[in-house]
Parts: sequence; structure tokens; C-alpha cells
Amino acid sequence: MKDRNYTHAIQIDTTKCIGCSHCMQVCPTQAIRIIEGHADIMPERCVDCGECYRVCPVKAIFVEDDGISAINIDAYRIALVPSIFIGQFPSEHTASEILDAIKQIGFDEVFEVEQAVDFMKKTYDAIADEADYSPRPIIGSFCPAIVRLIQVHYHSLVDQILQIKAPLDIAALYLRKSKAKENINPENIQIYYITPCAAKIVAAKAPVGEKVSPIYGTIDMKEVFNLVSKTLMERKDSKLSKQVANMSPDSVKWSIPGTEKQYFRGRSLAIDGMENVVEFLDRLESGRISGVDFLEMRACDQGCAGGILCPGNRFLTVERLEQREKKLASLITTTEPVQNELMEYAEEMEKVFKVDPVYPRDGLQLDDDLEIALQKMERIKKLNTYLPGFDCGACGAPTCRSLAEDIVKEKATISHCVFVQRVMEKNYNLSPDQAFLTIEKIWGKDRLKKYQHSNGKTES
Amino acid sequence: MQFEYDIQGGDFSSAGKASSDIKKVLKQLNIDPQIVRRIAIALYEAEVNVVAHAYKGVMKVDLDAQKIKIVLEDEGPGIENIERAMQEGFSTASDEVRQMGFGAGMGLPNIKRNTDEMHLSSVLGEGTKLEMMVIF
Repeated sequence: MKDRNYTHAIQIDTTKCIGCSHCMQVCPTQAIRIIEGHADIMPERCVDCGECYRVCPVKAIFVEDDGISAINIDAYRIALVPSIFIGQFPSEHTASEILDAIKQIGFDEVFEVEQAVDFMKKTYDAIADEADYSPRPIIGSFCPAIVRLIQVHYHSLVDQILQIKAPLDIAALYLRKSKAKENINPENIQIYYITPCAAKIVAAKAPVGEKVSPIYGTIDMKEVFNLVSKTLMERKDSKLSKQVANMSPDSVKWSIPGTEKQYFRGRSLAIDGMENVVEFLDRLESGRISGVDFLEMRACDQGCAGGILCPGNRFLTVERLEQREKKLASLITTTEPVQNELMEYAEEMEKVFKVDPVYPRDGLQLDDDLEIALQKMERIKKLNTYLPGFDCGACGAPTCRSLAEDIVKEKATISHCVFVQRVMEKNYNLSPDQAFLTIEKIWGKDRLKKYQHSNGKTES
Repeated sequence: MQFEYDIQGGDFSSAGKASSDIKKVLKQLNIDPQIVRRIAIALYEAEVNVVAHAYKGVMKVDLDAQKIKIVLEDEGPGIENIERAMQEGFSTASDEVRQMGFGAGMGLPNIKRNTDEMHLSSVLGEGTKLEMMVIF
């Protein structure tokens, strides 16, 4: 079975894109090509990690969220806030102050996602027992970009993905259940997630291993950050400095590297950053890693603190979360303990926290038919001997190898390679005009205009 | 389709290059992922064997729509007792090699487990030839 739902939150505004190819060079799944002067994403390969978004110099790559404007004022609106949002602000602002500022934007209720982590921890031991006979290591399913990376690139590892929901979904399910008891019509509840990245948006729109997500909409963290910053600046004397510890202290660090792995019995590793993850999974797939029980993986360096929509500095965010952990720990010893109300629903959550198996995606296949795929591969191998092999990117593909693939897929021709082009021109297989047109087809019609001006051949 | 790789004895840091290269090719061919994985593991173990025990070797890979055939020939000390070498846990690896995390005596049994056919032959003092096949 294959997963063919290619919904993405990462989009390219072709009116802004200047076709600079920065994004093409950094894409960890080689999903980007330059065509007619702008970047083009192959939907079957993209995993919404957002590496391209980080490097775009003209902000042509954008993340499609639902936005604050989508909030329906007739509904019962709940904002789900990840702890890293609180870590965007200096420690003089308390968590309750920040959460209240979010509420003022237009929510009936605000809930911190990491309260669901207490439930995750409780289930990890049971999962470890159950998973005793399955292949190791188990790969955590927290980061949606990692799940999708494995679906596209590491087909033999899909069975090792932990089949449980992320804390975000657990929190949303809890809210739906608890609100039902308060006689709020479940149809009327809308849960919005303040997202630090594109991958979480996709997870809410097109979940893997679930039919529908309990999340109604997503809002870019930057948008909320701007509004909350304004509120916090205007509010001089805060009456909301009272802090309660309604979850275990280290839960606030679940989304950053090193916390989740501690809750899985046995040898576990925390790996963050797309490049590191790719390197490790390559090794794992070749059987070069043994004796590891659990992999905590995050696509972003410093985990969600490094999310592409986080306005603050990732290292400061991590430090603030560490401070908050200490603060919560001291609150537990000095004040009346406050119950994490989500845990009262633990039994009910246990019935719904699992997800269906994850299936591979088609991103890499040359053809469904092995015989034809093999013929194409033979051609790629041959083409590779003609191509220069230093991945200059002038053909509009990130590597010589990917140009060869595009050629056999009939999406490009060998004359796209500027080096091959020179040889073809010398041998009179290609006229300079044809070569010129080829370059224009890749890099856009007016891309070579300025050079013509300086030669004085065309009028401005 | 054929591929050929040179393997240098003692070059542990490069071990796995041929294996990951072939794995990349197989992934694009729509071959069952678990079979791809078995091949990758067998190739890696075979590569490490040459690196750990021989002076140098050549890996030849022959691929068609039904199967993959791999032949590794090395110049090295050869294997004295093939039957014993195939036993789990048996290894003649030096202490240095073991300290690097290799030489646990699982390489050859692992290759056997992950391939459909495997044949090992050796001339003492000259070298070893490993032939293996996996059917798609």
C-alpha cells in the first residue's frame, strides 16, 4: 500500500520568486527544480521541513496556514499553544501572562500542548513492552517532517515509526472530550494550533495514520507573536504573575532535543537537524547501527525551538525552557500542587492514542515496472558519465545525478547542462540561439537581458 | 546493469560507500523495501570484511529485473577454515579492529541470513572470493 496524499504547507509565490536556486541547493530531498525562472516543488518528494523557507532571500517561499482571520467568532475557540511559544519571550513575562495575552486575541480558552506530555510519558513504558518484538530502533513520531522523510526516502523503516499520536493531538482530543462534559456542543468547538513550523500544519490538514485531525486550524506563530508582544508591552503592571505547576517540569522541554528519549527504556538517541537525521537514517538502513532502542528525531536544529516560524533565537528559547522547568520544579515543592486535569482523562485517552500504520510514498521511484525502471536507471548511469559531476546547478537541478533523473523522466534534456551545451555548440549540434533559448527556459525569459544591454545589442 | 567498486583494506572510515551507493539505486527501482534493506546489510558486512581482513578488493554488482548478484574478490590472507568462519561469534579480527566496533564474528552469518544464495571460497595466503545473490 502507498500513501499518495501530497498536501503541503510550503508554497512558492512565483510572482516574488527570482529563481535564485538557493532553495534548490538546500532541499534535503532534492525536491526543487528551477523552471522558467522560478522554483518548483515536486509534491511527491517534499516533506515540509522548511529548509527552503529559511534560505529564500526574497520571501517568495511561504507557509500556508489558516491564519487568525479564519477564526470563527461564533464557535467555541480554543488555542493550543506549544511551550516554545512561551520561550519566545524574556523570562520576566510569566507563562500565565503570555497565555492570557493569547486569549485576548479572541479565544475562549488557551491550553498548553505540553500538558499532554504527562500522558505520553505514562504510555511510553507500556509501548516499550508491546514493542519488544518489533524491529529496533523504534523511531519517534513526534516530528511530522521526520515521518514524511521516512515515507519518501526510507521505505524499509516505515514499520519502525512509533504508531502513536503527537502530544498536540492528545491535547486536542482531551479538550474535545472534556468540553463535551461541560455541555459545549462538540460540533461548535474549534481548536487552533499556534504552529512553529510547516510540517505541523500538514499534520493537521493531512494526518498520516489518522483519518482526520482533531485540530481545526493552524496559525503561524509569528502572527500570534506580534499580537502578544504588543499586549505585553502595553500592559505595565501584570496581575497575572501567579504561576501554577499543572504539569511535570521537564514536559515543557519535550519538543527540544533530549527529553523525549529519556522516557523510552533502553539505549536511545536524540538527533536534531535535517542533515544529521538523513546521515543517521542512511546508516541505520544499511544495518550499520545496532543495539539502539529508540530514536528521538527532530527536523530542526534544537528541535521545535528552531522551527521555521519561531521569531526568537533558538538557543535563547531552549535556555528559557530550562529556566521554566526549574521554576515549575520549585513551584511543586513550595505551593499547593495543582492537578494536570488532562490526566483525569488518561484512561479514555488510552483508547484513542494509537494511529494506523504508516505507508511509503512514491517520491523516488523511476517507474512502477521494475523492468522499465531498470532501463531508466541504466540510462541515468550512462548520462552520469557525460555530466561533469560537480553539481553546479546551472541546469536548474540540484545535482548532475538529479538532472540525469529528470532527463529519463522527460522533464529535461541533456542540453540543459551548460558544459554539454558548449561541446554541442562546438560540434555544431546546437546553435548559439538554441542554447540561449534553453537557458531562458530554465532561468526565465529576461534573465540574460542585462548581458545583452552591456553588449549594446539591444535597446532598453 | 553493472557496478564496480574498489575497496581498500584498513579504510574503515570509507566502509559502507559501495553499499549506500547500491542502496540508492535499488530504492529508485520499486523493489520491496525489506529486500533493499537485506541487500544493503549484506553489502555493508561484505565490504567491512574486506576492509578488516584483506589488503584490497573489488566488488562487482550485477543487477537485472529478477535478481542482484554480488561478487567480492580480495587479495589478503584468505580464510583457513570456512566452516568455522561461518559460525556466529567466530572472528580472527585483531584487537584494534574489535576496538573500533567491528569483528564480532557476525559478519558472515549476517550475510548468509540476508541473502538467498551465498558462496565463499578462499586460497590461503592469496585471497577470498565471496559470491552472493538476492532474488527480487
